[in-house]
Amino acid sequence: MTVNDLKTYGADTEEGLRRCMNNESFYLRLVKMIPGDASFPKLYDAVDKGDLDAAFEAAHALKGSAGNLSLTPIFAPISEITELLRARTQTDYSALINQIREARDELAHICEE
Amino acid sequence: MQENQTAFRPSRDRRRILLIEDEYVNQEILKMFLEDSYDLVVAGTGTEALNIIRSQYEMLSLILLDLNLPDLSGLDILRQVKADSRTARLPVIVATSDGDAEVECLTLGAIDFISKPYPRQEVVLARVLRTIELSEDRDTLSLTERDHLTGLYNKEFFNRYAAQLDIHHRDCPMDAIVLNVNQFHMINDRYGKVYGDEVLRLIAEKILELVEQSGGIAGRSEADNFWIYCPQCADYGATLEAVQGDLNGDGQSENRIRLRMGVYSNVDKELDIERRFDRAKLAADTVKGSVTRVIGRYDDSMHEAELLAEQLIEDFPAAIRERQFQVYYQPKFDVRPNEPILNSAEALVRWRHPTLGMVNPGVFISLFENNGLISTLDQYVWSEAAAQIRQWKDRFGVTLPVSVNVSRVDMLDPGLIEKLQEIVTRNGLTTRELLLEVTESAYTEDAEQIIETVTQLRKLGFRIEMDDFGSGYSSLNMLSSLPIDALKLDMQFVRNAFRERKDTRLLEVMILLAESFELPTIAEGVETAEQMFTLKMMGCAIIQGYYFSRPLPAEAFEAFIAERKEIEPHTEAKSGLTRKDNYTYNALHDSLTGLYNNSAFEILFHDADQEHIAVLIADIDDYPNLRKSRGRVYADNLVRRVAEVLRSSFRSVDHICRLKEDEFVVIMSRITSSQKELVFSKIESVTQALWEGTDELMPVTLSVGIAFSDREHPDGDIFQDADKALWRMREIWHSGYAVY
Repeated sequence: MTVNDLKTYGADTEEGLRRCMNNESFYLRLVKMIPGDASFPKLYDAVDKGDLDAAFEAAHALKGSAGNLSLTPIFAPISEITELLRARTQTDYSALINQIREARDELAHICEE
Repeated sequence: MQENQTAFRPSRDRRRILLIEDEYVNQEILKMFLEDSYDLVVAGTGTEALNIIRSQYEMLSLILLDLNLPDLSGLDILRQVKADSRTARLPVIVATSDGDAEVECLTLGAIDFISKPYPRQEVVLARVLRTIELSEDRDTLSLTERDHLTGLYNKEFFNRYAAQLDIHHRDCPMDAIVLNVNQFHMINDRYGKVYGDEVLRLIAEKILELVEQSGGIAGRSEADNFWIYCPQCADYGATLEAVQGDLNGDGQSENRIRLRMGVYSNVDKELDIERRFDRAKLAADTVKGSVTRVIGRYDDSMHEAELLAEQLIEDFPAAIRERQFQVYYQPKFDVRPNEPILNSAEALVRWRHPTLGMVNPGVFISLFENNGLISTLDQYVWSEAAAQIRQWKDRFGVTLPVSVNVSRVDMLDPGLIEKLQEIVTRNGLTTRELLLEVTESAYTEDAEQIIETVTQLRKLGFRIEMDDFGSGYSSLNMLSSLPIDALKLDMQFVRNAFRERKDTRLLEVMILLAESFELPTIAEGVETAEQMFTLKMMGCAIIQGYYFSRPLPAEAFEAFIAERKEIEPHTEAKSGLTRKDNYTYNALHDSLTGLYNNSAFEILFHDADQEHIAVLIADIDDYPNLRKSRGRVYADNLVRRVAEVLRSSFRSVDHICRLKEDEFVVIMSRITSSQKELVFSKIESVTQALWEGTDELMPVTLSVGIAFSDREHPDGDIFQDADKALWRMREIWHSGYAVY
């Protein structure tokens, strides 16, 4: 995986790298941690069960990490769902969850390369 | 201190931040932001965070808090930090992506926020630094980390960093060391503060150098108190040398600056830091004033003393409750009449401890004086003594005043007068019967208030004895203005006057001075007949000490009261006839010559230090014939003349006695046979003076027998052997002197 791959993926690598003090390998190492983050399954599961409190916790955690690495494809839907969950909005979350799942899976795919 | 591990080096100048963040990515980024500038401690859960805060709060400069944690909420942590007075000073920055929480955090005491995603490193660093500095400035109003003069830590921070060392080096044995400059105030007084400061700065510089090698820390407070906390080291001689070395290269050699050191080695880490340094200080105090010992070590005996002190303080309330304190009475005799008369008693306290047995007052009095318990103990003794006076009054029909101690703290108690009056009234006594001993030092320390209290007490009829006079604070001109009724000479002062090179001149001056203010003198600690007679001769009125009796329990003391009852009427009948002061004088002195008589000789000989004396027995040659041919008056004049010559020829420490007729004895003290020449020269000057004769008296010669206590092959006692020497010499030479 290269920074370019991530750029193609849609990440704001410039911002992400700057936050990592332009240390590429450090940045990439952290990015690789994301797909395996336990908060993803927690989020999916909690939304499935309608446990909005737990879903919020998980989304909130993911938002921080994804945001700090400027992984926009994940950060955008996560931010959206976090705000909805913060208000414990009763709605159909499946579209957002799918969007998040796809972004994570794609990142996982990139990371494996 | 050179031998120590290099790994032992606390990062003294880096501040420590507690990072509370559970997300790995965020942790890593913040670590990367901060780790070059700060020591970081990371907590991934709220519980972990609270544990760290509790144990390390003294070393933390900042908490960086993520609100979203797996176990506790960040807000709860913030609340707990701010609620605990020990940790409330810690500045907290909250990291959050959650705008709504900000207001709540602010009201809870967070100082700043860092948003997520994080801003650039520079922004985070700037906010962290500003927050820390703001909070430190706030702390600085009351304390600064470093002492301005020397750059060492001040006490507060020294303690914090010492605690930090403990946490990071749990298993490393540590030493607590105190360094002081001997007589530092003198240096300041003599050479000025600028010079004194320079000395302190030099010492600090050297100490800092040393602790940087050994991995310890150093601090200073109150002028010349330096502390070092460092890994254990076997020998501090070199350390002290190194610090000392630089100080004496400055040309002040005749007034060398000397350091003393107290070491509490391998400290007990369960103790507070301050306690550890108290111990080191205690050790340093043991070499205070010593020229040969410069390093004192806290050892088992000091530890035991400390434990004992703790136990005594702890046991004190029960001791009062269970009446473990016993009051003993030591008689005070009026020695002015022919026969000494029991005049009063001093109440002295003893502690019959249930497990420790009899505890020496020397151990507990000063301890209780220092922590104020003495007031309770004093009042206990006052009550006991007053009840005892009452009881004796009822049983023997006599009034025997008892003196009690009134400590300095009692004198400052506004309720003192009422308490004393209450005790006197409760026992149906007059204020004259409870004598009050107020220590001399009390007068010099809080003079005005104490003089006022004493004046009031005297108006009520209490008699005040100034205790421990001569113990060091004496200001002779105070005597004229002080409201007191008697002067009690310090025991040590009396003993010193009679020690080794007997010098009682100062004692005599004091007694005369007291007399000129019409104050009777009381001497305590009087142990021998010689001391008693000398003091009596000088005009001391009342004498207390082992010579008469040790302090006794009340029942045993009653023997003295019974005895006084017998002799009192007798003595008082006599006292109208002769001048009181001549009684004892006559009993102990020869009326013809004024020398000591037979009875005095018995006492003096008995009490003399038998190890280092010489006894001289002298006869006037041909005395029986002279007396026969020239008559009694001539013979008496001759004896008087010999006495006069003897008195003027021998030393003031020597005792000269006339046993009978022409038989004289000189007891020379502190002398050995190696000083024969001195003895001979005395005898020769006597012989020469007598050989010159006077207008009325023809020349005479003396025969003298001498024996030293270190003589070889003694036959009888020293007196008998001197007598033998005299007779042997007589058989051969008829006149002269000879040594056994």
